[in-house]
Amino acid sequence: MSFVSVQKLHKSYAGSPVFENIDCRIERGEFVTLLGPSGCGKSTLLRCIAGLTPVDSGQILLDDHDIVPLSPQKRGIGMVFQSYALFPNMTVEQNVAFGLRMQKVKTDESQARVREALALVELGNFAGRYPHQLSGGQCQRVALARSLVTRPRLLLLDEPLSALDARIRKHLREQIRAIQRELGLTTIFVTHDQEEALTLSDRIFLMNQGRIVQSGDAETLYTAPVDLFAAGFIGNYNLLDADSASRLLQRPVTSRLAIRPESITLGINGELDAEVRSHSLLGNVIRYRVQVREVELVVDVLNRSPADLHADGQRVSVSIDPTALREVA
Amino acid sequence: MRADARSGGWYHRAVVYLLFLILLLPLAGTLLYSLATSWSASLLPSGLTFKWYIALWSEPRFLAVFGQSLLVCVGALLLSVVLILPLLFVVHYHFPRLDALMNILILLPFAVPPVVSSVGLLQLYGSGPMAMVGTPWILIGCYFTIALPFMYRAITNNLQAINLRDLMDAAQLLGANTWQAALLVVLPNLRKGLMVALLLSFSFLFGEFVFANLLVGTRYETLQVYLNNMRNSSGHFNSALVISYFAFVLVLTWVANRLNKDKT
Repeated sequence: MSFVSVQKLHKSYAGSPVFENIDCRIERGEFVTLLGPSGCGKSTLLRCIAGLTPVDSGQILLDDHDIVPLSPQKRGIGMVFQSYALFPNMTVEQNVAFGLRMQKVKTDESQARVREALALVELGNFAGRYPHQLSGGQCQRVALARSLVTRPRLLLLDEPLSALDARIRKHLREQIRAIQRELGLTTIFVTHDQEEALTLSDRIFLMNQGRIVQSGDAETLYTAPVDLFAAGFIGNYNLLDADSASRLLQRPVTSRLAIRPESITLGINGELDAEVRSHSLLGNVIRYRVQVREVELVVDVLNRSPADLHADGQRVSVSIDPTALREVA
Repeated sequence: MRADARSGGWYHRAVVYLLFLILLLPLAGTLLYSLATSWSASLLPSGLTFKWYIALWSEPRFLAVFGQSLLVCVGALLLSVVLILPLLFVVHYHFPRLDALMNILILLPFAVPPVVSSVGLLQLYGSGPMAMVGTPWILIGCYFTIALPFMYRAITNNLQAINLRDLMDAAQLLGANTWQAALLVVLPNLRKGLMVALLLSFSFLFGEFVFANLLVGTRYETLQVYLNNMRNSSGHFNSALVISYFAFVLVLTWVANRLNKDKT
């Protein structure tokens, strides 16, 4: 039996369903991500698991016990919010100790555990500060320490990195993952950022319009999208309709076709003649828009040296790896 | 251009100072009159004295009136805190949609002129099982409705600034029940908004005359009613009363402003 098992979960607001018939299983110690565009129901699902939003029907089993009838206090679940939700009237130390205070843990033990939790997020020297004296990244680390100190059975992270700037986001997500591995903590992470999901997760549940569209590890989701939505949401797939696909491949194609931009090679002696329409530099990658047989394709090429750069308007040729073609519904 | 700008600046400043002077003049006149031994036929008072203030602050009727005013205001404010805090909490945490309705409801006491609503109140509470016209109780109840908009707005702003829902959710997930979360996490963060609301309402209620005069009058005199009743006695004495009242409210307003500044 899985550690977390969500079965036939229904939730609607004012008559219109947020999600219907959600089923998912999470193993002990796993780091899974609920990924999807805003409004897909991922945050609501997380709040239902936490007990902050009541469900209409269905079961949520945590370690083989249905937690749906339990109040949030009794579920033993820790949660980190996008807004940090630190208590402004308390110092960092008091914030972290709050959960232990509610559990009536003795002062000595509480102090030791708070110190340990703050050391874990590398904020040992900030115990006496107030939240308004901390940066966003530091606030979120305090929030993480606060939810870890009570030793929850399950950790929920609701877009914890969305309010932070890029550099801190990258650092903090690595830190979160390292701590999660160290503690072996079962974790559900909610995000709309595919890069975050791909780099962090053991497994990803891709959600759209209240459904789980696809689940699997990062590799599967990236290379084998099950439908148009999955292909459009993850990576920067070239999505061709049947007509364009037939023209490009010079054979009849009946469904839509998805081609990853990095599976196309630009060269001088390729199979197909093409013309560079425009290019943009993304750092280590150059992204070209090329015209092949009246089909516009996006091609990502590793930025090796300025000498390899193709100018706009230049005639080039492209080869497409046939194994990278995916027909999608 | 620079000279123009400078003369323009000088001109603007002069207008502002002149306006200030005009506004301060009656107050300065009252202050001077309250300190004058006598001031009738001459341009300036014949001498300065504190005797009117001493007379005022040793007058038992004034002290009683001052205390009664304080009591009515503090009573009304206590009642509003006890009723409005839980109300606001419930509205914002459980029924955020009701906020729009509440915003209209709390303005109703201001929509009806005091003279009109006091006639209604006299009818309703003048006799029968709820007869309390002429007692401080009706004033406390009436002042509660006047304080409502001040309290509601100030505390709402404060509530919106603290992200109530996430704080409550976080506290509950950490094992607090609703009461613990409200008392330990939300209430301490509303302290500033609450203090500002209380001081604002207090300054306003302390100077209220229409309701006090019509609903209770001399049966339970408040400061403004007393001032009205004393209008035929010594002008020096009344001036001392006005200045004392003004100074008291000024100090309170200053405190309210200080608290407001801390918040931003």
